[in-house]
Amino acid sequence: MTCVRRANAAAVITAIAVLGLAWSAASLAQGNKRPADPKHGAVIAAQGTANVPACAQCHAFSGASDSSGAFPRIAGQSAYYLEQQMHDFTASVRANAIMSPIAKALSADDIVDVAAYYAGNSDPFPPLASADAALVKEGQQLARLGNATKGIQACNNCHGPDGAGIPPAIPYLAGQYAQYIAFELQMWKRGFRKNSPESMAVIAQQLDERAIAAVAAFYQQARDPAVSASK
Amino acid sequence: MAERLKPVDVVTVGVGMTGGIMGKELAAAGLKVVGLERGPMRDTVPDFQSPVIHDELRFAVRKALMQDNVKEAMTFRNSADQTALPMRRWAGFLPGNGLGGALVHWNGQTYRFQPADFIYKTHLEQRYGKDFVDPELTIQDWGATYEDLEPHYDRFEYLCGTSGKAGNLKGQIQPGGNPFEGARSREYPTPPMKEPYYGALFRKGAESLGYHPFPQPASTLSQPYTNPEGLKLQQCVFCGFCERFACEHFAKASPQTIVLPAALKNPNYELRTGCQVLRVNLDSTGKKATGVAYVNAAGQEFEQPADLVLITAFALNNVRMLLNSGIGKPYDPNTGEGVVGRNYAYQTVSSATVFYDDDVNINPFMASGSSGTVIDDFSGDNFDHGPQKFIGGAYIGSIMTNGRPIEFHPTPPGTPAWGLGWKQAVARHYNHTIALTVHGSSHPTRRNYLDLDPTYKDAWGLPLLRITFEFPDNDIRMSSYVTEKAAEIGRAMGGKTVVGTPRRPPYTTTVYQTTHNTGGAIMGNDPKTSPLNRYLQCWDVPNVFVVGASAFVHNATYNPTDTVGALTYWALAAIKDQYLKSPGPLVRT
Repeated sequence: MTCVRRANAAAVITAIAVLGLAWSAASLAQGNKRPADPKHGAVIAAQGTANVPACAQCHAFSGASDSSGAFPRIAGQSAYYLEQQMHDFTASVRANAIMSPIAKALSADDIVDVAAYYAGNSDPFPPLASADAALVKEGQQLARLGNATKGIQACNNCHGPDGAGIPPAIPYLAGQYAQYIAFELQMWKRGFRKNSPESMAVIAQQLDERAIAAVAAFYQQARDPAVSASK
Repeated sequence: MAERLKPVDVVTVGVGMTGGIMGKELAAAGLKVVGLERGPMRDTVPDFQSPVIHDELRFAVRKALMQDNVKEAMTFRNSADQTALPMRRWAGFLPGNGLGGALVHWNGQTYRFQPADFIYKTHLEQRYGKDFVDPELTIQDWGATYEDLEPHYDRFEYLCGTSGKAGNLKGQIQPGGNPFEGARSREYPTPPMKEPYYGALFRKGAESLGYHPFPQPASTLSQPYTNPEGLKLQQCVFCGFCERFACEHFAKASPQTIVLPAALKNPNYELRTGCQVLRVNLDSTGKKATGVAYVNAAGQEFEQPADLVLITAFALNNVRMLLNSGIGKPYDPNTGEGVVGRNYAYQTVSSATVFYDDDVNINPFMASGSSGTVIDDFSGDNFDHGPQKFIGGAYIGSIMTNGRPIEFHPTPPGTPAWGLGWKQAVARHYNHTIALTVHGSSHPTRRNYLDLDPTYKDAWGLPLLRITFEFPDNDIRMSSYVTEKAAEIGRAMGGKTVVGTPRRPPYTTTVYQTTHNTGGAIMGNDPKTSPLNRYLQCWDVPNVFVVGASAFVHNATYNPTDTVGALTYWALAAIKDQYLKSPGPLVRT
């Protein structure tokens, strides 16, 4: 390959080196205003603002939320993804009775800060009851291989090895609450959630109730300390 | 001693795109078909799954999906006075291997050739006079016209689900499409892919200069699609791993997603992988094929008798199969006589690189192999060649197929070739650079040809194919002219620095350019100048058809796959509608 580099020094396809991809939300957001302040984000998480309740009330100060699964785990999710969801809550693409008013009441800077705070947290996962082993196995199959007969691509192809996530754009699923994953798949399937219409909506429409339960059960238990530390 | 197997109706040598389509269709017509594939069985599940399939080192650098050149390669030289040497690593071009062939690792760029291409000699004489074309070039008409092939282009594009915008529907120019293209009978099966930022910047620059940008036609799909075989394809997610990789999303048209499941469901169709075909066997007259000889993965030799032999491998391997089987007279560049191996052509590819300030974020990693925006203003027949003293042309496009970390390192002139300075330049320019592709025609010459190597043999003791090739002066002049046009567009796109890199001789196989090898087993109207008739049937052995880019009389401006698909369905129609009813030569001499 070195000969390629010499021959094409001025051209595009050159050879081997380590590339430090600056894959932070700050560098990706074009026309970014100011650097994130995770300390200020922590204050919002703990105390809220004048118009907004504390995030910690539902998501916990750590971002691990609680095991009811009503609220997603957000600890360690990429800041870019969290910011994007907050903006989507303010638009009609992800309308949610609880989150939409909160997102609308937060300033753009508040959103950046609170996203940075939760993205920086890698809290341990709470112990959870494990689901039926056969269901988990089915979910694993869908996650890793998809369903070739139905033309459903494997979840891992975008969400990373066993749902580790491919930040910044694609969230982790490993260790996410099954209740939440299943609920969101239903939202896409039924057309209530409209962000990622071309990918997630199309895929969700091909999943039946059993497949949704299986894939959700698989990812809830697919947690690994090494994976959970990823941001 | 070879074991003689039970005779079948049809055998295909290779099961990629052409072999897959032919095999599926003829089995559906009621014939017993055996598909012989030298490489392994492979399918979307489990072979093309993440995270393995995104291993850039394994697939892009070490070329894991390509022909095993320890067993079988080609030798290369620039001219007949040199000694050819075998290619021990793939670099310049990448022949595929395994079920599905090169259509597994292609980018999905799906262009038709122009009406003028198929009547090239006649057309050029009419437009520019008899003495315009460099006498070194061996230009010929193809024997079939664009109008003949249009329904077959259409059928192939609907098989793939190609995403695009028609520019000419039944003679009516359509806004948003390519106004220069030949007339289409209907719109593309799916709408164009989303325009990436690099495509949008190109569109703006090209429009400011009065050109006609349009979305590149893509067989990496813009939306889910069910093809006429009942097979479902999904939408591309712009992961940036097409070329040299296989698609894990069912979003790229490959034999595995568009045709093979339909073939494999038919009990008339039998696939045998790991089977290396050595030769086509002929009877004592040399005018009839009796079947093929092959070696399986365990090293056992078999004779597979068949009434009809379809050579459906990669273009270069098709030519080698004819030569190793003694079908057709080999071409002799000294006398210009003989037909097998003549009119070998390549593709004249160059680039212009547009470097921006660091406030312009291109995000090149969000790509498909065929997302992007192109212009056709300087392609083939689309401009006046009179003042230019060359024929042919190139499309110019902002087609960033990937931003993969090992391979994608644009740096401006003056950058050190290694060390800290180079690393800093890579970091500075990675996300702020657009590469423009200049994808140009390649013309056959008397001295560029394919034959058997006198020295080097493959793992089975058979001579390798020898490639003798140098860029014709005509094509070098074309490259200089169109690459400068690309650089002008780059400047109009607001690039801080724009570097045009026209193609220069000598041709070297150590720098990747493209896999588009064509010719060597060309179609035509005269047995003295082509080994195949207009239906891709061997003049000398009428129960052998040779299907692939090997049939191209010259290589036009565009990527060859769509035309290979059209020729496949064209030959198939001739076999089904004429040959099977009355086996024998379809064209009388």
